[in-house]
Amino acid sequence: MVNLTINGKSISVPEGTTIIEAAKAAGIRIPSLCYMKGINEIGACRVCLVEVEGARGLVTSCTTKVSEGMVVRTNSPAAKEARKAVVELIISNHPYDCLKCVRSGKCELQQLANDMGIREISYEGEKSHHEQDKSTFSIVRDPDKCVLCRRCVAVCAKVQGVGAVNTQGRGFGTVVAPEFELPMNSTSCAMCGQCVLVCPTGALTERDSTGEVWRAINDPVKHVVVQTAPAVRVALGEEFGMEPGSLVTGKMVAALRRLGFDKVFDTDFTADLTIIEEGTELLHRALSGGKLPMITSCSPGWIKYCEHYYGDRLDHLSTCKSPQQMFGALAKTYYAQKAGIDPKSIFSVSVMPCTAKKFECERPEMVSSGYKDVDAVLTTRELARMIRESGLDLNELEPEEYDAPFGISTGAAVIFGATGGVMEAALRTVYEIVTGTDLGSNLDFVDVRGMEGIKQMSVKLPENLAAPYDKLSGLELKFAVAHTLKNASQVMDMVRSDTAPWHFIEVMACPGGCIGGGGQPIGTDYDRRVMRIEGTYAADKSLKMRKSHDNPAVRELYNDYLIEPLGHKSHELLHTHYEDRGRV
Amino acid sequence: MVVQPGGYFYQKVKPEDATDIVREHLLGGRPVVRLMVTDPSTDAIQPTMEDIPFFNKQQRIVLRNCGIIDPLRLEDYMGRDGYKALHKCITGMAREKVISDIKSSGLRGRGGAGFPTGLKWEFTYKAKGDEKFVVCNADEGDPGAFMDRSVLEGDPHSVIEGMAIAAYAVGAKQGFVYVRAEYPLAIANLSHAIEQARKAGWLGESIQGTDFCFDLDIRVGAGAFVCGEETALLASVEGRRGEPRPRPPFPAQEGLWGKPTVLNNVETYANVAQIILHGWEWFASIGTEKSKGTKVFALAGKIRNTGLVEVPMGTPLGDIIYDIGGGIPNGRKFKAAQTGGPSGGCIPSQYLNTPVDYETLKELGTIMGSGGLIVMDEDTCMVDLAKFFLAFIQDESCGKCSPCRIGTKRMYEIVDRITKGKGKDGDIELLMELASIIRSTALCGLGQTAPNPVESTIRHFKNEYMSHIEQKKCEASACATLFEAPCKNSCPADVDVPRYIALIKQKRFDEAVDLIKRTNPFPAVCGRVCDHPCEGHCRRRDTDEPIAIKALKRFAADYDSVHACISPIVTRTGKKVAVIGAGPSGLTAAYYLALAGHDVKVYEALPVAGGMMAVGIPAYRLPKDVLQHEVDNIKAAGVDIRLGVKVGKDISVKTLLEENDAVYAAVGAHLEQSLGIPGDNLPGVLSATEFLRDVALGNKAGIGGSVAVIGGGNSAIDAARTALRLGAGKVHLVYRRMREDMPADKAEVTAAIEEGIEFHFLTAPASIEAAGGKLTLKCDTMKLGAFDKSGRRRPEKTEGTSEIVVDNVLAAIGQNPDPTFKEGLPELVTTKSGIVVSDPNTGETSVERLYSGGDCATGPWTVVAAIGAGRKAALAIDRKLEGTWHLEANKPIVRTLVGEVIEDPMPRAVMQELPATDRVCCFREVELGLRAEDALAEASRCFQCDVRD
Repeated sequence: MVNLTINGKSISVPEGTTIIEAAKAAGIRIPSLCYMKGINEIGACRVCLVEVEGARGLVTSCTTKVSEGMVVRTNSPAAKEARKAVVELIISNHPYDCLKCVRSGKCELQQLANDMGIREISYEGEKSHHEQDKSTFSIVRDPDKCVLCRRCVAVCAKVQGVGAVNTQGRGFGTVVAPEFELPMNSTSCAMCGQCVLVCPTGALTERDSTGEVWRAINDPVKHVVVQTAPAVRVALGEEFGMEPGSLVTGKMVAALRRLGFDKVFDTDFTADLTIIEEGTELLHRALSGGKLPMITSCSPGWIKYCEHYYGDRLDHLSTCKSPQQMFGALAKTYYAQKAGIDPKSIFSVSVMPCTAKKFECERPEMVSSGYKDVDAVLTTRELARMIRESGLDLNELEPEEYDAPFGISTGAAVIFGATGGVMEAALRTVYEIVTGTDLGSNLDFVDVRGMEGIKQMSVKLPENLAAPYDKLSGLELKFAVAHTLKNASQVMDMVRSDTAPWHFIEVMACPGGCIGGGGQPIGTDYDRRVMRIEGTYAADKSLKMRKSHDNPAVRELYNDYLIEPLGHKSHELLHTHYEDRGRV
Repeated sequence: MVVQPGGYFYQKVKPEDATDIVREHLLGGRPVVRLMVTDPSTDAIQPTMEDIPFFNKQQRIVLRNCGIIDPLRLEDYMGRDGYKALHKCITGMAREKVISDIKSSGLRGRGGAGFPTGLKWEFTYKAKGDEKFVVCNADEGDPGAFMDRSVLEGDPHSVIEGMAIAAYAVGAKQGFVYVRAEYPLAIANLSHAIEQARKAGWLGESIQGTDFCFDLDIRVGAGAFVCGEETALLASVEGRRGEPRPRPPFPAQEGLWGKPTVLNNVETYANVAQIILHGWEWFASIGTEKSKGTKVFALAGKIRNTGLVEVPMGTPLGDIIYDIGGGIPNGRKFKAAQTGGPSGGCIPSQYLNTPVDYETLKELGTIMGSGGLIVMDEDTCMVDLAKFFLAFIQDESCGKCSPCRIGTKRMYEIVDRITKGKGKDGDIELLMELASIIRSTALCGLGQTAPNPVESTIRHFKNEYMSHIEQKKCEASACATLFEAPCKNSCPADVDVPRYIALIKQKRFDEAVDLIKRTNPFPAVCGRVCDHPCEGHCRRRDTDEPIAIKALKRFAADYDSVHACISPIVTRTGKKVAVIGAGPSGLTAAYYLALAGHDVKVYEALPVAGGMMAVGIPAYRLPKDVLQHEVDNIKAAGVDIRLGVKVGKDISVKTLLEENDAVYAAVGAHLEQSLGIPGDNLPGVLSATEFLRDVALGNKAGIGGSVAVIGGGNSAIDAARTALRLGAGKVHLVYRRMREDMPADKAEVTAAIEEGIEFHFLTAPASIEAAGGKLTLKCDTMKLGAFDKSGRRRPEKTEGTSEIVVDNVLAAIGQNPDPTFKEGLPELVTTKSGIVVSDPNTGETSVERLYSGGDCATGPWTVVAAIGAGRKAALAIDRKLEGTWHLEANKPIVRTLVGEVIEDPMPRAVMQELPATDRVCCFREVELGLRAEDALAEASRCFQCDVRD
């Protein structure tokens, strides 16, 4: 332990702690902008400058490690003035358009300016200008609002291992952009949106779809259906001041009805369906000597990443569409038929924790229904904005139920939102199908839960399994779960070198899984991810039905329409293919 | 080339000189004098390198082999003790001993910051790590600096040897040299040398049979200035974007790939072997207390000898610039030197004695840097210079930290607007504020030092910033939007030179004179006696020679000498102005105030009008009728001149203030300063001013057959040449400095020499004794010592003395204003020597409604400066009196090209002159003016650079 004093307060922290973390431990907040613990500790913005006795000049508290006997003053006049001046300089190169900025109220620069009492800018001058990048369906880049904190750069390179954006140019012309300032849609960007989550300003935002959704809602001809992803319900509350992880499913459904959606459905329904299809596919591959390990395909960011970086290993991916796209295909076929609605007039909206979903629904092959399967994707943030726009407060809404038939789901579907959730849901189903036994209350596969980057587990199947699973008798089924693309690449490198011991791998692009997706509320950090995961498992626990194959609506779907998993109809509507996109 | 034996040094040798060298020197034993270097001021021949100050003031350690050996031959290097030091280290010196020797030698980093090299090695040596690296910084990026390049190109093995010794000392096995891609020859020679060293067993495994292993690779940088910063350089070596990171940890702890790393500059490494070889004591004996050894400087800019020089630390800046650098070319004045490039600052002329070492430079607000030394003369605008460096920094900032990325941009914007005449009150303070913020908040050395050029130029040249901001004036004629043409800009009277030349070119001589008279009522006078700063700034100077502006002015004025003054019918304002003194300043003010419609009376103590033009400048330079004609024109404009009225005696200035709306005091400086030596009051010791005045007024001058004039200004020359014309058979001129230091007009000095006046330079009067009807002027022989505040070397007494026996001694060492005029006005603030304190732009004094200008407000200065001051005061007075003339006076005129612009070289017109033999007998005008065809040709030489589109 190292002893030091900060603002006269003596504290003791472990060796290697930075001043900013030591101060935090002592209850002293040092303003910062570019700093992200463990991810971006580069001292670039100079907002966290403090005075250290004996040091030459001010030091950045995010990069300077504590030392024995160090005397730190975070609020000396020199430090305060320097920090304020630095923020003023940053603001002097920022468009003053807070009133119409989507990040207004959640902007860290705005907050800093306000906290520091900045009422005028002494250093006015030219503002740097670079064209907005609206080339993708997922993310909009507005370099004019960029403060060059490089948090996006760090998260993309260090957390995701992609490095789609970096600093280009020099001096005042420096800009964070893809190499050669190419448009984002011509890069290997996975569209995961983690950059958007960490952007302190409005320089990186989701591409807004609220306008087209409003138009559809306001169009009397359109029958507008909406599906909500599992991870949205544990995060939306944060936008309305609730604790992270608060489960707001019923309130959300009520809000969606108030907004004017004709039917409010649940993606969880197709999550259950996914388990049936994917579980069957896994068993089919295992029994018929198909490509193993099989890898999940519900995370569109992961899929795009895999198509860029592991184009030679696409045959490992499950052919199952993601729950969003399964839903889309069914909404304009099965549902349309069942409800007697012309699929042409159906406008299918999904609410997702994800920016990559916006890309996914635009993939040209996602038209199995004969129409664009999903018309528009809203992120959690966009839904919150629509709710606020309508003058609603989620806190005050009475919970309501989803509409039938796509509103019925199980706990297995809910946990899709957390890393390991798909694996756990699949295990619950596959195990029971293969062994023909009921897991009873032993449904929790805790080994695949939690924030560890790569998790592994194995299940030994009993001997003497009945046909057609007799071939699997006594087999030790091995599983791996990876979240973040960087971890995924580690797993994939093993797949590529044929050293992967697993039969089935779950990959989610975002840290923590979908609950940490790029479409979630701003402020998503490690702690919030953990709380949302807790909320997710609590929701699972509270449900009576916790296994996908128990879902009666799914059974009815097969009985009435699909006939059987991996059947002809399934193949047509629920399965897809991938393309090698090459690295850019 | 050098011819041995004897070490004869020939310069600018061409193939055709070979015959002479072989036949005369090699065969005949007669060195070829015409190829030798001559001293530019004394014309003395300097046959060998030892005789040439450029070489003999240098001490070469780092550059010792450059130019001497073939850099591609290892044998050459070995023959000059190459690799002996490395051998000594690896075969017999403990690593700790190597480090302690380098520490004791006092060697400090030559890259700029001056960190003790031995200490850096020791840190790396002590740092824990399984692997260590040695890196050489050859990413030389300062504009104008190229010492690293020269060493790598000319003596690459010295760097390899230095690095190998460092590697041995700290325990590294691998080294990297980071060179910028713009140095292809350095890269080629270094690669070649590395290959040779490997083959010869000086690099690689088991070097020279010992267990020491070390190898070296080159990393080529893409030419980013910031990669000279050590952490950015290391990032670039690792293959990442060259950006600095915060320190600590320092590279000695966590360097290349996180391993302990020694990172030194090329020049630092080049010193190492010599220290090991000759001992640390030897190295420590060179230089100053805290800065040991030598430093290589890249001399650039306005200096005769540009290139690399190596001098002991602590060599005075002036010695580097004048003795080694040969001083400033084209007779320009030294203004400042920039050290440390964009991270450094400037050193103005009053600090020429500064010993160049790390500490002293730091105290002056600059840094040693890597050794770039850019010399600037009076044509350099310091605001423009600051702008240049800020633009450089903006181009080179890596963009990582906000203060450097945005802060220097903001500084650039402010400086830019100042140079464009859009500077605002408070801009200087804002710049200083930003500078302080950036220095204390930027991430790396580049950012932290980026404000230095601005802070430094504000510190030493704040007035230049002020004149850009307040007067929208760029004295140096560098900031293009602030002036029409450099000639006009440098004219104290703001005469529209390019336009009147264009009128002459069109033979519109009367209009040319009218145009001159808009700002200067004395074209004929100035056409003869002006010191013509305009010509010194003429753009044509860079092509061949400046336009003969003075001669053209005289031509137009002479051609038009019958032309009467424009006496436009102006509305009388009824306002009254009194002018004290009918010199150039007073008459100018009076003339324009009269044109403005005010009633003007001029009070002149002397019986003639014209002030120093009448009683100071001899008739051979300015004939009386020429002056009288222009005075008459002024009278014709309505100016009432009262001669023989001495204000302060005959009428008080208080009364003038009571009776008039404004008073302009322009009494000049007519009181000669006394010599202040024993015997300066003896009969026969006269004031040059009084002497010239007596001659001009036709009084008896009482001059003997031999005269000594003391002084180096125009008065001294005038007195000497006048004495000659009055029949003095022998005229001496005694001056304590050298000819090039004389403030007098160069042409006047030449004319005086032609006329046979004997100059005694480096001679200072010590006493005057009278004996036998003669005066003995006893003098001390002087030598030039350290530099004084004016940037000239201060004369210092030597043992030597001399004597001159003459009939008269004329003192011409400076004049002060006659204080009589301010009797009864104690509230008027003046300096100790009686100079009136007034605003140089308006003439306003401490007394309400009293204005002052000309010599009495500046000390003895030029006619044209006095005219300029008079007009400025007239503008200010007219504004104060709510007249309308000042609103019209400076209206811009349309500038269009007249005829074609001749850019090919074309000789400058020369005025006819009386031959020297015909001059000395009389006071006939020496210069005879231009012929019409010459004038037209001369006018056609003008580039018309005032026309901008």
